[in-house]
Order: sequence, then structure tokens, then C-alpha cells
Amino acid sequence: MSIKRSLATTTISGFALSAAFVLTLLNLLLQNLPAHMHRAGDELLKLNADEGIANAVTTVVVYFRGFDTLGEIAVLFIASLGIGLMLGENERCEIKAESNFMLQTASRLLFPIITLYGIYVMVYGHLSPGGGFQGGVIIASGVLLLLISHKEYEVPHSLVVWLETFAGVAYVLIGLIGLLTLDVFLSNFLPHDIAQMGLLISGGIIPIIYILVGIKVGSEMSMIVQNLIKRQSNV
Amino acid sequence: MFEYLNQSEVIRSIVTVGSMALFFVGLFGLLSQKHFIKIFISIAIMESAVFLFFIGNVFERDFTAPIMGEGYTNVAQMNDPIPHAMILTAIVIGMAVMALGVSMAIEYYKLTKNTDIDKMNEMRH
Amino acid sequence: MSSILFIALPLLFGFITPLLNKLSKNAVVYASTLMQVFLLYLVFTLLSQNTPHIEIISIAPPLGISFVLNATALFFVALFTFLMTLFSLYYLSHRKTNAYKNETKFFILLNMLLAASIGLVLSSDIFNIYVFFEIAGISAYILSAYEKTPSALEAGLKYLITGAVASVFLVFAIALIYINLGSLNLALIAESFGTLSYNLKLLIAILLLIGFGFKVEIFPLNFWVVDVYQGSSTLINALFSSIVVKAYLFVFFHIVYLFLQSADFSLFLVYLGAASMLIAEIVGLSQTNLKRLFAYSSLGQVALIFTAFALQNAEAIQAALFIVFAHSLAKMTIFLALSKIESVHKSVNAQTLKEFNSPFLRAVMLIAMLSLLGIPLFAGFVGKFLLLKSLVTGGLLGVLALIVLASLLEAVYYFKLAGFMFSKGEKKEPMKIDFTQKLVFSLLAFLLVVVGLAPFLISGFLLEASSVMLEASSYITNLVGAQ
Repeated sequence: MSIKRSLATTTISGFALSAAFVLTLLNLLLQNLPAHMHRAGDELLKLNADEGIANAVTTVVVYFRGFDTLGEIAVLFIASLGIGLMLGENERCEIKAESNFMLQTASRLLFPIITLYGIYVMVYGHLSPGGGFQGGVIIASGVLLLLISHKEYEVPHSLVVWLETFAGVAYVLIGLIGLLTLDVFLSNFLPHDIAQMGLLISGGIIPIIYILVGIKVGSEMSMIVQNLIKRQSNV
Repeated sequence: MFEYLNQSEVIRSIVTVGSMALFFVGLFGLLSQKHFIKIFISIAIMESAVFLFFIGNVFERDFTAPIMGEGYTNVAQMNDPIPHAMILTAIVIGMAVMALGVSMAIEYYKLTKNTDIDKMNEMRH
Repeated sequence: MSSILFIALPLLFGFITPLLNKLSKNAVVYASTLMQVFLLYLVFTLLSQNTPHIEIISIAPPLGISFVLNATALFFVALFTFLMTLFSLYYLSHRKTNAYKNETKFFILLNMLLAASIGLVLSSDIFNIYVFFEIAGISAYILSAYEKTPSALEAGLKYLITGAVASVFLVFAIALIYINLGSLNLALIAESFGTLSYNLKLLIAILLLIGFGFKVEIFPLNFWVVDVYQGSSTLINALFSSIVVKAYLFVFFHIVYLFLQSADFSLFLVYLGAASMLIAEIVGLSQTNLKRLFAYSSLGQVALIFTAFALQNAEAIQAALFIVFAHSLAKMTIFLALSKIESVHKSVNAQTLKEFNSPFLRAVMLIAMLSLLGIPLFAGFVGKFLLLKSLVTGGLLGVLALIVLASLLEAVYYFKLAGFMFSKGEKKEPMKIDFTQKLVFSLLAFLLVVVGLAPFLISGFLLEASSVMLEASSYITNLVGAQ
């Protein structure tokens, strides 16, 4: 067979095989669509009232599955460490479009507003949708705005190191205090009345942990963003 | 016709077909592309497809968000909070791994000016 | 003494290190080694209480996450902590001549790797297993690209891409499990897994096999292993082959014994393992680079452990645990010795093996190689003999033939290497080995010889561990009933 023929045969048979594979998978998934089941989340929703937090997703993220959140924080920490290791020694890249006076003034005006919004989302995370991760990323986007518009801006390194160390150590210490006092790691040892549901101070350790998560995520994402701008300008 | 489309089995079928199409687009990109950044984008597309499949199949159309306040303490009609927590964790972890991958790719390019995975042969066989 | 401390203490150390780094670099190194010695002491206190111990985190299982410390988990936790402590002791004297740059980051990554491997072994919740899978993965990607040379970065990139694909498949499997079964606790999943349709069970099994298969280094998903071993530094290879892959093996087979148990699937896994071993040994025969050679040998031994775990009887699992013990100790010895030779002679190939001059190191490497081959009187023989015995009683003579053939091929290149080491030729000047390093090597070699001569010292413990792993029902009732 000529090359063209064999190429066409291979392509067509490849397509036929993948189409058969895709159709089998789709058939399987569509035949087994789940009915409305009673899942574990429904049980957790009933337990949520004991913790006195209005946003059930926050209770699940921070308390019922708080160990996964601790692991996720560890992953972000290691990733930020790794990016700093890879790119930390380079110089900052040049952005060819010069930023002018209007951009610099506007970004300096916007940065406090963005940070305030991020802190609001972080602190009210247990009362309305939001939380530590979301608030931290909003703060990091404000920092990104400043990094793009100002050539000489650098995130203050020692402040970031202090914040992230404090937040991480406090999270693990809260868990260990729970282990010491109530014999269960990460237990809710501060008072959490159901009467307080909907107020800012409610739910025991849950808002505290989410604020710590927000501080850590915000500072680490700022460091990641700054390190990613550091590649040499001829790349 | 809209009553037919609003049934939960039909919505779930549409979400399943769409998210699996996205998954196979990502898988095709992973297997056929040679540039690192395109491979990372394909992996990110596959991850988004899996999250879409997950959320689409656990969502109940008539239920409300799992947030309690005045008047919404009826827990039986609230959506499940566990998938939200799982996908939040998985998105953050996926983003962290991709950011690390991009930084390694940048450093590799700086040292060898090569972006093609077929031509990565620093190690002689 | 709670088993959570195995995870909480390394995480606490990792988080506080950037601040400790400002005080003094040596403080970080010594603090880390002290913490690992404390964890080793913790393991000794836990060895005395011998009942399955369930550690609750936040709320009671089966709605919450919990750690189950039974005999099998205790074996793995003890092995990992012991090996990591020896590694840290070795590094304490290695850093006097060849310290890594940014050493404090290296120690954070080591401790995160230890915490994640222990967490994988202890956890009883499938999403928690995924989170630890990712922590171990991301620490390993950075450790393999640590030196930032082009080959190290290539190794890191290959490892990262395959690891990210593996985690996509794993999340897909977890999504399917939650959608159809409604729970994330391994015990509840095991109870209700039988109610699914056959096709869905097959799909979940295939997705889990692909997701874990990349990390467990089974054919055809082990194309990344040899390049990653060659590109990373030799010290890191010791960690990868003796700690990381064993944790993934245990988690995969824990899940298989809990809910993926079926005669056809197990037979398929047994043949897959035997085929991987044979292919790894055949390809490894033609290698000249020493690091690649030992990587192929690692692949073969890991496939052997995979085959042993896949057979469904307590004797075979006991054999697998013996091979895990012997292989981890032997590979750590070999890679640490290679790293010592590399630090003195700046390269490691057949020529260097002929020339290095240290009778102590030659003896230690010979003991490790003889143990890997399965020569009687060394620890590797016990595991291989038990495995071959259980294959004969099970009637799987085809698998037996594949494994014997693969072992013969392995023997060929090990004898070639031993010939290089003991060749009569020009030797360079004698190497000086520090007291700490001599202690580490002697302890590893001593354990290999003692367990080889007297396997009854640990065989009772391993038999109990294997029956605990095989029997899913007691695990399920322990978790579901604990309130």
C-alpha cells in the first residue's frame, strides 16, 4: 500500500477505535445515572446545626473534613516553596508596554479596595458563600495588579514569611490543642452555641481557622505570582 | 418540550455527555501535542471536565444552597455540601501542581531553549 | 501517644522552618533529625500496644476521617520512620562535603514526604488518601528536580506530567464512587460496593488501576521511572525506591482487598506483575549506566512485590511483606553507597566500580546485592522462597516460570557488577568513611544478615499483618462500629 493509503487507513481505524471507546464509556455512564440517593452530605447537614455555622460548606471544608484542608494547605506551601526554588534567583522580566501615569494611579487607588473586599470575603466566609481560599486569591489578584503596573514593586519578603509561618503553625497548633484537651485532633474546643448562628462570632474555631487559611493562601499566592514574573527578559 | 428538558435525568445526561466530550478533547491533546505548555493545558482541561461531571451529577435542581439563615433551616431540601468541599480542595491542588510544572518548564527552557518533549534527551539511553 | 503526631509533627516542622531558617541553618538540620528520632521512639511505644487502634479526627467515622493503626500499618510506619531516620543520619555527615544549596527547603520536602507516606498507609478515607497522594507527589517532583541541571529538570517534568495524569484518573474514580455510593469512607464503600452494576464496578476498577498504576510502576505505565531515576540525584533515588513506592503499593492493595476482590481481577493482576518483572529484567540487561541498571532492578523487584500481593492468600502476602522489608533495606544501602562513591569520584559507572577502594563499602554492597538476588542466608531469600512455595501450592506454574526466568536474568547482571567490584586492577586511594556513615551502613547490612539467618524474629508479626490485610470484614466492622 502506498504511504497515503496506509496513513489514511491508520487514521480512519484510529478514529473508529476511539469512537467505539468513547461510545462504550458514554453508554455505560448514561445507563447508570444516579437516582436521588441519601448521601453522606445529608447526614453532615443535620450535624451542622450543632456547630452553629450558617454556611454548611464552610463547616464541611474546615471542620468535618478539616484534615483535607490541612493537607491542601501543605500542598500549596510545598508548591510555593518549589516555585521559589526554581525561579527565585532570576531577574524580573520586562513588560514591553510602558505603564503610564493613569494606570499607576488607578491601580494604587484600587489596591486597598481589592484587599478590603478580599478580607471581607475571608472574614464572612462562614456566613455567606466565600471563605479563606476565595479571599486569599482576591488579595493575590490585587498584588498582581500592583506588580504589573509598577516596575519596581516587590512584595515585602519578610512580611510574607512571617504571615505564612504564623498562619500555618497556628493551624497545626489549634489541631494539637484539640488533641490535648478533647482527645480528638482538630476538635471544636471553643464554645459554639446554635443561638449564635448568623453572627460574626459563632461556631468556635471554624471562623478562626478559615481566616488563618485565608492569610496563608493570600501570602503564598502573592509569592507565587511574584516568582512567576521572574524569568529573564529574553524568554 | 421544556418540561421534558427540565427533568433531572435529561440534565444529568447532557452534563455527562458534555463533560466526557471535554475529557476526551483533553486526552487527545495530552497524547498528540509536543509543546509542554500545551500538555499542561490539556491536563487542566481534563481536570475541569472531571469536576464538571462530578458537580453535574450530584446537583438536585429543586433544592437550595446549603446555607442556613432565617427561614432556610429546612435541611432536607438543601444540596449536598461534600462535593463542594471536595472540588474546592481538588481545584487548589490541581492549580498548585500546574503552577509548579510551568515554573519547571520555564527553567528548563532557559537552560536548553527546547520546548518539545520528543527532543528532551538529556539522558542518553 | 497518638498516631496523628506522625503527620502533625512533620507538618509543624515544615511550616515553622522558614522562620527557623533566619536563626541558623544548622538549627533546622539538627531539629529535623531530632524530630525523626522522636518519631522512631514513638514507633517503639506503639509496637507494644497490639490491638487495631482507631484515631478519630474531628468527628467519628464513618462520617469523618480516621486513622486505623493495625498490624500492617504499624509495619509500614515503622519501616518508613526507621529508613528516613537512617537517611537523615547519613545526610548529616554527607553535608560536610556535598551539601545541597538551600538545604532548609530540602529538609522541609523530606519531612513532607515522610508525613505523606505515613498518612497514605494510615488513612481510612478515600479522599484523604488522594490528598496525601498529592502531597507525596508534589514533594517528589520538587526533590527530583532539585539540582536544576537540565537532566534533573527533565526528570522533574516527566515525573510531574505523569503524576498529574494519574491524579486526574484517581479523582474521576473518586467522583464515580461518591456519585453512586454516597460515602467516602473505605469501610462504607466496601459494604455497599457489591450493589453496583458489573460494568460500573469494572469502570471504577480500571480507573483506580490506571490512577495507582502510574505510581506503582506496573507495565505499561512505568515508562517514566528509569529516566526519573537517572535524572535525580542518587540520594533521592534511595528515598524513591525504598519509601515512596512501597506506600503506594500498600494503599493500592488495601483498596483491592477491601472492595475490588474478585478471582478474575486478581489473576489478571498476578499475570500483569509477572510480565512487568520479566520485561523490566530483559530491558535492564543491556544497560551500561549504573543508575539506570539499578532503576530497572527496582522495577523488577517492585513488580515481584505486586505479584505477591495480588495472590489472595495470607502466605503470599507474608512473602510480599518480607520482600518489602528486604528490598527497602537493600536498595537504600545500594543507593547510599553509590552516592558515597559519587561524592568521592564525581561519577558512577562501571569504571568507577572497578576503581573505588574501600573494603567496607564493597562488603556492604555485596551483602545488599546478594540479598536482592535471593541467595540463602540473606533476607531476600526468605521472601522469594515463601512466594515460590505459595505459587506452587496455588498451581500457578506459568507465573512461577516467569518469575524464575526474571530472577535468573537479574542474577546475570548482579554477578557482572560484583565482578567489577572485586576485580584486580588499579585502585585509587582509599576512601575515608565517617563514623556516622559506617554506623548507618553496618546497621542496614546487619539487619539484612540477621533476618536472613533467623527469619522467625519477624515472621510471626508479618503473618499477623498479612492476615489483617486480607480480612476485610474485621476492618469494616471496626470502622463502622466505632462511635
